[in-house]
Amino acid sequence: MNNLSIKNKLYIGFGSIVAIILLLLITAYNNFASLTDANRWDRHTMEVLLQIDRINSVSLQIQVDTRGYILTGSEALIGTERENAEQLKQHVAKAVQLTADNPQQNERLKRAQALLTTWADVNIRRQIEKRRALGDAKGAAEILGQSSELKEAGAIVASARELLDQATEEERRLLAERSAKAVDLHSSQNALLLGGGAVVFVVSLLIAYALGRVIMGPLANLTAALARLGSGDQVARIVVTSGDELGKVSEDFNKMAQQLQDATQREQAQTNELRAKVDSLLGVVARAAGGDMTGKISVGGEDAIGQLGEGLQRMFDNLRQLLTNVQKAGIQVTTSATEIAASAKQQEATGVEQAQTSVEVLSTTKEISSNTSQLLKTMEDATAVADYTTSATSEAQGNLRRMDQTMQNMVNATDSINAKLAALSEKASNINSVLTTITKVADQTNILSLNAAIEAEKAGEAGRGFSVVATEIRRLADQTSVSTWDIEQMLKEMQSAVSASVMGMDKFSEEIRRSVGEVRQVTDQLSGVMDQVQKLAPQFDAVLQGMQAQAVGAQQITETMMQLNDATQQTVESLKATSEAVHQLQYAAGDLQSSVSTFAVNA
Amino acid sequence: MKVLVFHIGADRYGLPLRQVRRVLPLLELKGIPLAPDSVAGLLNLHGDPMPVIDLSRISGGPPSRKHFDTRIVVADYTSPEGAVHALGLMAERVQGVQDVAPQDLAPSGVQAAPFLGRVAGDAKGMVQLVEVNQLLPAELRARLFPAEAAAG
Repeated sequence: MNNLSIKNKLYIGFGSIVAIILLLLITAYNNFASLTDANRWDRHTMEVLLQIDRINSVSLQIQVDTRGYILTGSEALIGTERENAEQLKQHVAKAVQLTADNPQQNERLKRAQALLTTWADVNIRRQIEKRRALGDAKGAAEILGQSSELKEAGAIVASARELLDQATEEERRLLAERSAKAVDLHSSQNALLLGGGAVVFVVSLLIAYALGRVIMGPLANLTAALARLGSGDQVARIVVTSGDELGKVSEDFNKMAQQLQDATQREQAQTNELRAKVDSLLGVVARAAGGDMTGKISVGGEDAIGQLGEGLQRMFDNLRQLLTNVQKAGIQVTTSATEIAASAKQQEATGVEQAQTSVEVLSTTKEISSNTSQLLKTMEDATAVADYTTSATSEAQGNLRRMDQTMQNMVNATDSINAKLAALSEKASNINSVLTTITKVADQTNILSLNAAIEAEKAGEAGRGFSVVATEIRRLADQTSVSTWDIEQMLKEMQSAVSASVMGMDKFSEEIRRSVGEVRQVTDQLSGVMDQVQKLAPQFDAVLQGMQAQAVGAQQITETMMQLNDATQQTVESLKATSEAVHQLQYAAGDLQSSVSTFAVNA
Repeated sequence: MKVLVFHIGADRYGLPLRQVRRVLPLLELKGIPLAPDSVAGLLNLHGDPMPVIDLSRISGGPPSRKHFDTRIVVADYTSPEGAVHALGLMAERVQGVQDVAPQDLAPSGVQAAPFLGRVAGDAKGMVQLVEVNQLLPAELRARLFPAEAAAG
């Protein structure tokens, strides 16, 4: 609702009022149509009633005419009888036609139509015919008055009238019903008009109020915000609640107010910045005036203040550079002077040290001379020992060679023992096969003896001697077995002994071979030693000669050192003079530094 | 009375020399499939087949070990019907012939295998006699000598 434009809001408001009025009018029109319909039905009923009345009056007219004719016999009275009958039929037909919409009434009227038609066309005509036949005879009226025709006609017409009365009654009831309905319609029409009018009034008031609020509310906000802005309140803003034209106006207003505020704040910031720049320039200049050149100008830019700042900065930089250079020069002069003084002192000390060193060197040289003589003697001893070592080593070499030879012989002997042991082992195997044969023979002999004993037993007394022999053979066989077993055992022991010997011999040969290798190694080493020892003797001679030359050199060094000592003494003197001059230079440099240091140039 | 001494397990037994035909070394025997365990096999004795009974096996022990003094003893087996057959007996440690005095023999007093007879003691222990004719149970006899069984 809030986002609709004002035009749409107005359309919606007035449109809804018009719609309600239209609705009301349509309802009223419907009610009027119903009323008209009811009136039409009333008229229809009236017509039906009129026709029934006419039927009644015409039938009465016919009855009256017929009675008159019967009483008087005057033909004039029945002159209109045909015409009336036609009229009666017409009216009845009309009534039947009118009640076509109501089946019950229609049925009644049709029955009445049938009765009345019969009555008019048959009964009345019979009465007239009878009266005409009687003519002017006396008592004709009484005869007819008592006749069955008259009674029959009366009954028919009475029943027809009854039916007509019922129809009339029904139509009247319908009329009353419709009248009541029409009264109801009237009253509802009145209520509708009154109530509808009131509703339209109230709804219109509500819509007018709502429209007023929707349009006037934002306008009032806008006016108030404008008034606040005019009185200088820059943060005045409007709360935008709707999306219509007024909402847009409010948003634009807010943007305008924001821009105004931003512009004011920018101006304020610039003013503050300018003031700060001038303040900082003033501060730096004031410190420089007091001798503190360390101030840094942070103001820059293209404007006048900026250029002023940069000019000042350049001036300060130049001044600072100058002062720094002066200070550096002062420090450098001081440092150099100090260094010179220090080196002069050091040289002096060095000179003194040199003198002392010369004395020490002198004494050392003398010691070397005496030591060299002792060394000479020792070297001679060493040479003698080396000669002895050489001869002993060659002797040892000869011994080792002999030992090597012996070892070789032992290896050969071991190999031949091994061969013999192998032959022994083979022989033992041969013995073993022989033993196997002997065992078999012994076994067969045993069996033979058993069988012999059996045969002897079977022979009885005759085989007694044979039995003894068999027993003897068996004993021999047993002994052979036992001996064979013993030999076998011995042979096995021998074979294992031979195997052990072979293994021992192998190990022994291996050891001898290793020993031979070691002996050869020792021999080689001894040869190397001998070579070295033989080389020693000439070297000892060279050492001796060098020592003698050393003794002579030591004497020369002593003399040179004496001369050097004198020169050193002179150097020390001149250094003392230099030290004095440097002290004076130091004082001058100190003065320069203190005068420059009143300026502060480093941050 | 002279007996041939052999061993079943650790014990010594004697076979009367009258019933022994001869002693043979341990020869290769022909196996008899589906024969009872106690039958060691068949031996060709000069062209005639002879069944060999393992004495160790028929006494309920393990099969005889094949030592150098394990022999096959050919004995005379007299069946209850009176027919005499050659029967091989495989015996362990056949030591030789020993003389046993009849007065030394005494009943063992223990009713065990039917073929074990009287016992005699000497310096090395006891020797029990083996009755060859009682050696084969009826069922085994019927298997070994079927013709005779049919005849009887």
